[in-house]
Amino acid sequence: MKSSHPPRSLRIVVVTADTSGHDDAALAARHERNTALRIGLLESGYDIVASLPPDIFLPERVAQLQPDLIIVDSESDARDVLEHIVIATRDARRPIVLFTEDHSAPAMEAAMAAGVSAYIVAGLQAERVRPVLDVALARFRREQQLLGELADTRQKLAERKVVERAKGVLMARYRLKEEEAYGRLRSLAMNKNLRLAEVAQRILDVEDLLGQAPAAKGHT
Amino acid sequence: MTGLLGQGGQGAYAAGSDRPEKTELRIGFMPLADCAPLVMASVLGFDEKYGIRLVLERQHSWSAMRDRLNKGELDAAQALYGLLYGLQMGIGAAPRDMALLMNLNQNGQSIVLSRALAERGARDGAGLAALMRAQPRRYTFAHTFPTGNHAMWLCYWLAAAGIDPLKDVTLVTVPPGQMAANLEAGHMDGFCAGEPWSRRALQGGAGALVAPSSQVWPDHPGKALGARADFVAAHPHACRALVAALLDTARWLDASPVNREAAAEVLASAAYVNTGVELLRACLLPRRGDWPALRFFGEGAACFPWLSDGMWFLTQQRRWGLLAADPDYRSVAAQVNHVDLYREAAQLAGVALPDTAMRSSILIDGRVWDGSDPAAYARAFTIHDLR
Repeated sequence: MKSSHPPRSLRIVVVTADTSGHDDAALAARHERNTALRIGLLESGYDIVASLPPDIFLPERVAQLQPDLIIVDSESDARDVLEHIVIATRDARRPIVLFTEDHSAPAMEAAMAAGVSAYIVAGLQAERVRPVLDVALARFRREQQLLGELADTRQKLAERKVVERAKGVLMARYRLKEEEAYGRLRSLAMNKNLRLAEVAQRILDVEDLLGQAPAAKGHT
Repeated sequence: MTGLLGQGGQGAYAAGSDRPEKTELRIGFMPLADCAPLVMASVLGFDEKYGIRLVLERQHSWSAMRDRLNKGELDAAQALYGLLYGLQMGIGAAPRDMALLMNLNQNGQSIVLSRALAERGARDGAGLAALMRAQPRRYTFAHTFPTGNHAMWLCYWLAAAGIDPLKDVTLVTVPPGQMAANLEAGHMDGFCAGEPWSRRALQGGAGALVAPSSQVWPDHPGKALGARADFVAAHPHACRALVAALLDTARWLDASPVNREAAAEVLASAAYVNTGVELLRACLLPRRGDWPALRFFGEGAACFPWLSDGMWFLTQQRRWGLLAADPDYRSVAAQVNHVDLYREAAQLAGVALPDTAMRSSILIDGRVWDGSDPAAYARAFTIHDLR
C-alpha cells in the first residue's frame, strides 16, 4: 500500500506541547505523544512544514505557512488559540486534527460534529495515520466544495441580475430589442476581453454617473 | 471542613420522586478565581446536602471544555456565555442546543495595558486612543477565547474609546496563564483576562490596570454554569440539586471575609488554580474603595440567569459580525437560560427571586441595556462589523 499510494505533498503543521502552566507528569506525557506522532507522520511520508510552539505568534505563522492541516494535542491550551484561527478564517477554513488518547468512536464523532476534522488516537501505528488523515482531508474538502458551490451559485445569480439590468438600460436608451441589447453587451465584452457581468457593471456605473435624464426625455 | 456549615443532615432533599437521576456529576472547571463556587461546593459538601456528588475535572482550554460537554464526558461546566450561545447559534461549530443553568459570578475581570503604554499616558480608554493617534503603529491586544466574555469586554471598552477593535488593532487569543509573560516580553500592548492572571501581570509590574470589567458594565455577568440541553431534559432533578448546591455555596462565599479567606487557601492548591495563596487572597478579598469586585451571590441577583444577560451576548455577536443576521434574541435566550429550573432550585435553597427575568444596566458608553429592543441595540453602535 505504501508504494502504490505515494503521499501527496500535504503540508502539515504540528503544534508542539506547551512549555509551562501544567504539572510535570501531564506535560511529559504530552511531549511523548507529540514526538510519537511526529515520527508516525514522517514514517508515513508526510511533510511536516513546521512544529510550532503554542505561543502568541502561532496564528501569524499559520497564516504565513498556509498548511493543509493543523494537528494539535486535544489537551493543549493552544486549542483556544486555534479556535481564534477557526473563527477569524471562518470563510476560508482549514482542517484541524486533534491528537488524543481517547479511543471511543462516539467521542470522535461528537468532536467532528463540533467542527474538528479528524482525530488521531495516540499510539496509532504509523501505517494507520495516513488513512485517517486522508479521510479527514477528503471530508474537509467535500464540505468546502459544497460551501464553494453555494457561494458560486449565489455569485452567478447576482451576475445575472447585473446583466439583466444593463440590458434594460441599453433597451431604454437606444430603443433596442432584448436580443439586440444582449448582442451589444456580448460583442463589447469580446472586444474588451471582459466578462459579460463586468461589461454590464460598467454600463450600470456609467448610467449611475450620468443619470437617466436624456433617456427619460427621449421616451416621454 | 463540612463542620463549618452547621447545616442539616445529608441528603435531606434527595428522597422521593425528586431523587436525582444521576448522583455523581462530572463538572469541568478552569483554573480561575471564579471557579470558587464549583470547588467549594465540593470541598464543603454542599453537593451532598442535595443528594449529589460533584466530580471536578480541571480543563486547560475552553475548546476542550466544549468538546467534553459535546461528547458527554462532562455533565456540566463552568462556561463562557459566548461559548454557550456560540454553540447554540453554530458559531465556529455545528449548532447544538445548550442550557445555561445559572450565573456563577459577577465582575472580577480586568483590562490591563503594558507599563510602557501606561507611562506614556494610556491610563484609560481616552488616553489609549490619544496615544495611538500620536504614535501610530500596529497595536496588539489579547483576550482568552474568540467568542468569549473577555473578548466582548475588551471590544466594548476599545470601541467606547473610539478604537475599532477589528480594524484599528490586532486581536489575539492567548491562554490566561501566558498573559503576564507576553506583556512583559513586549509581544502585546494589553489584554483582558480573569483573576488571578490579570493580577499576576500587575504584581509583576509588567502591566497597569486601566479598567476593571465592572467599569465596562457594573455587575456584569461572569462565568455561567453550562450543560447540554438534552442532558438537562433527561436529568432535571440532578440539575436542580446542582444549582441549589451552588446557590448555598455562593451564599457562603459572600457571607464573610473569613469564608473568602478559606476559599483562597483551597483554590491555591495544585488541584485547583495552582498558584500562590497571596495572589488569590488579593482577588477574593477586595479592599475598600475598589471597583465593584468579584461577587458570587448578591442575595441571588448574581446567580440569576437573566434573559437580558444572555441576549446581550447575542447583540455583541451580531455587532461584531459573528452572527450574520438578527436572531430572535428573546426566544433564543429563553431557550438557553433555564429560568424555570433555576426558580425551583432557588426555592429549594431559600434564595430570593426577582419578579422579572430582565434587568437594566448602564454600560461604560452611557448606553442603557435592558433587553427591550435587542435588534436596535445591536445596530446602535457607531463602531461595529454588521454585515
